[in-house]
Amino acid sequence: METIPFLTKEDVAALDSLLMHYLEKTSGTLTLVIDKGGTIIAQQGEIESIDIVIVSALAAGSFAATKELARRIGENEFSALYHQGVDRHIFMAALDEHTVIVTVFGDRTTIGLVRLFTVNVAAQLRTLLNQLRQRDGLEPKLVLEEDLPVVGENIFG
Amino acid sequence: MSIINYANKEIQFKIVYYGPALCGKTTNLSYIHSQVAPENKGDLVSLATAADRTLFFDFLPLNAVVIKGFKTKFQLYTVPGQVIYNITRQLVLRSVDGIVFVADSQWEKMEENIESFKNLEENLTKQNLSLDTVPYVLQYNKRDMPHVAPINYMEYVLNNRKVRVQSFESVASTGQNVFSTLNAISRLLLYKFTKESDLANKRSKTTVLMSTVR
Repeated sequence: METIPFLTKEDVAALDSLLMHYLEKTSGTLTLVIDKGGTIIAQQGEIESIDIVIVSALAAGSFAATKELARRIGENEFSALYHQGVDRHIFMAALDEHTVIVTVFGDRTTIGLVRLFTVNVAAQLRTLLNQLRQRDGLEPKLVLEEDLPVVGENIFG
Repeated sequence: MSIINYANKEIQFKIVYYGPALCGKTTNLSYIHSQVAPENKGDLVSLATAADRTLFFDFLPLNAVVIKGFKTKFQLYTVPGQVIYNITRQLVLRSVDGIVFVADSQWEKMEENIESFKNLEENLTKQNLSLDTVPYVLQYNKRDMPHVAPINYMEYVLNNRKVRVQSFESVASTGQNVFSTLNAISRLLLYKFTKESDLANKRSKTTVLMSTVR
């Protein structure tokens, strides 16, 4: 199953713990786990100074766009991408067929270190995400039909 | 696809504006961006060519109603309409929750509308999705132009599936029915979401919690 329909507080805590540890080791600025459609699954780091929703959408787009490039040279997909800036850089790696880890980092660390620790955390994240995908059942009911704005009331505007 | 985060109390939905080249998809997002209060929107990001044609996608994140303490977040995307960018359209459609199909009402664009609609169906099929399951609405745009096709004709050529969907006559450049369209697809998504998560207490009576976003 591709989607993770919901994340409980415990799921988020488990993901956060892995990412926090990873960010400490890499001395990165920010890390995100996103699905390939651009939806954020987990985040850790300086989320106040960077618009993570937009970064996620663009990172997913960037990752997806290179798939065709990979195909042209006989690869199915590039498993990792690196964009180098002056002060800040971004590293993206596929966790599995559906999810990507995105890490923003500066001069406190190196791409080599980020790559190294990404390999370690990727295996742990893969296992956890697989468990979340395969989980049966739904959380207790969240929204009732009666909760929706009645006809005539707008959601926007 | 939509994801509920019980820790952050958020639900995220992805809506894609689809349609032929120059039909007004980006104009829809620009108008929405211009009208929504700053605290309920992010930046409008456009990956466009120098001539302002969408190259990859436009993206606009919005916060909407609060339901039972959960923030609903809608992420609006457009696809590039030009025929050659089909792979890009497939990429943007990934994990889509709902679709707004924007058609150009001008007579001379009718063939492009039909082609684009067919292309949407094909691209969904490639992702094991279909318009039978993905909520969508139709928007007949550019109603202010001369030589537009009558609505009943547009309905005949575009809204002819087994289940007819909501459609809107619009002029996206002035905002006419832009929010009606967005509200309709958002409501469909929330409705589908409630159906899918509707396990118990179906008859419970609760209060609607609304947040005004404009």
